[in-house]
Amino acid sequence: MQGVLAVFPNLDEVCAAIRDLKAKKVPKVTVYSPTIQHEIDDAIDAPTSVVRVFTLIGATLGVTFGYWISIWSSQYWSLQVGGKAIASWIPYTIMGFEMFVMVGCLSTVAGMFINAKIPRLVTNFGFDPRFTHGDYGIWIETTPDKFAELESTLKAHGAVEVRGER
Amino acid sequence: MATTAKPVVGKTKRPNIPAAGIQVPAVRTFEQVDDEILATLKPSPKWFIGLGIAIAAMLTGAAAWTYQIYWGLGNAGYVPPVMWGVYIITFVFWVGIGHAGTLISAILYLFRAGFRTTIYRASEAMTVFAVMTAGLFPIIHIGRPWKFFWLIPYPNWRLLYPQFKSPLLWDVFAISTYLTISTTFLYLGLIPDFAVMRDRETNPIRRRIFAMLSLGWKNTDREWRHFAKMYMFLAAFSTPLVLSVHSVVSFDFAMALTPGWHTTIFPPYFVGGAIFSGFAMVWTILIPIRKWWNLEHYVTLNHLDATAKVVLFTSIMVGSGYLSEFFIAWFSGVAPEQEYFWNRVFGQWWWAGWLLLLCNMIFPLSLFSQKLRRNPAWLWILSIIINIGMWYERFVIVVPSLSHEFEPWQWTHYAPSWIDMCFLVGSFGWFFMWFLLFIKQMPVIAIAEVKEIVPPRMKNDHGGHH
Repeated sequence: MQGVLAVFPNLDEVCAAIRDLKAKKVPKVTVYSPTIQHEIDDAIDAPTSVVRVFTLIGATLGVTFGYWISIWSSQYWSLQVGGKAIASWIPYTIMGFEMFVMVGCLSTVAGMFINAKIPRLVTNFGFDPRFTHGDYGIWIETTPDKFAELESTLKAHGAVEVRGER
Repeated sequence: MATTAKPVVGKTKRPNIPAAGIQVPAVRTFEQVDDEILATLKPSPKWFIGLGIAIAAMLTGAAAWTYQIYWGLGNAGYVPPVMWGVYIITFVFWVGIGHAGTLISAILYLFRAGFRTTIYRASEAMTVFAVMTAGLFPIIHIGRPWKFFWLIPYPNWRLLYPQFKSPLLWDVFAISTYLTISTTFLYLGLIPDFAVMRDRETNPIRRRIFAMLSLGWKNTDREWRHFAKMYMFLAAFSTPLVLSVHSVVSFDFAMALTPGWHTTIFPPYFVGGAIFSGFAMVWTILIPIRKWWNLEHYVTLNHLDATAKVVLFTSIMVGSGYLSEFFIAWFSGVAPEQEYFWNRVFGQWWWAGWLLLLCNMIFPLSLFSQKLRRNPAWLWILSIIINIGMWYERFVIVVPSLSHEFEPWQWTHYAPSWIDMCFLVGSFGWFFMWFLLFIKQMPVIAIAEVKEIVPPRMKNDHGGHH
């Protein structure tokens, strides 16, 4: 993987750089920030996360499993008491609800992992430890022939350091 | 993670996030947040003393358990028909303690309550360790702990299958879901902080451990976007979960016909009591931490004031529950029910009944005074009073009911044995041992979230952030 990495100390400068790169239609841009920032969200204007789809699927499967395990086991090992239903859906709602929450949550986490592409084995490429401390960063995956042009663009927006990584 | 909604779109306003100037005015830069919070990870003599006491207390409980396994459950002080004693009382107590953590981390998150930011990590850890502690008691109570897996509902040929209509099985589902989700919530919130620790750590072994725990987190826009969405969904799931768990625990009692238990007020009354006692435990833990590790500018008097208002509200809620119980017993015209409540305040158990009313209804009324709400020493003392009161609340629910049921010839007395008391002490040791180990390995205040409320560095600051 080859590209250009820029370090910015100020939030407004990194936002301006993002907008400029978008205007120039530069592809494969990754932005680093020490925490979530509205301003960066605004500048990137990324689509809504699809994690919610995982949530919906997981929660639906979970609630179905919760009811099913209760009903199936009641039918298979039936405890017959006069006047009482063998499978009683009102108390089984507790199992349905708990499985709804459990599987829904775990599938949401799985959705986040898949979409955020973690766990990740290598962090020392296209990254700088300053991004977890207090600085912002932009990583552009590109070929060496574009390094000089991108470096001048990023420096014009206040990058304190720009380096090419090959 | 406050940024879960789209920022300003058209005329839609941003989420209502209080500015850092109001919340933590003495915290000015991201670097300061890293340095000050990571500085709390250095062990100190006070920490070693605390850990030593906790381990000694935990070993007391472990010794009692060994003794009980060898000599049998008869040592637990049960007197038929009081076959639920300190174990179930302490189980309900610890499940309740856990509730404040989820309330702070999930419910207050959904309500955008800014005061949660600096206190939620400690509260979440408290939840996990409190539920771990609670989970021990049903296992201890069954006498043969190695048979615990019989409760888990999987197909088997033991001619013993879990009864899905039993509240005890509902507990298995509720508590295991709660422990799983609380642990997941705690760990996921820690991932960005592990990345901070990875990049600041100089010891190569610890650095490698933090690198694994951070899962290669790099603070990219892609990670934050999906993380924020996931966090919101987890909070949305945890909110009904926290309300359901103590409701299910209350069903252990409310589904029985025993006087004092068979009442529909139990679920909300248990949930209110759980939040009340959990917030008190948050004070017990956080007030010394903020003092000893110089975090008073993170957990400020404003934060304590806000939590005190929650405690006051839940105290009134719990108090209303107590009074409603007396009213319903009188209004129902059911003699055993009236007998029971008379016995609770003027009969055999008057001392326990008045102790809980005093601790849970009368002392918390002091929080109407703003001066006391902003006095950490008083809040810490009050937290101990409330937790004594809440343990006795569960005592008053369990013991007087079982010792004074329908048949007068069955009426009896109950006193915990030394084994019971060792388990109680051991449970506090177990809880504080884990908590003290946690706060020296992981940040007790969420670094990434505090950064979110600190004004970012700007070259051309025209204001308007948040």
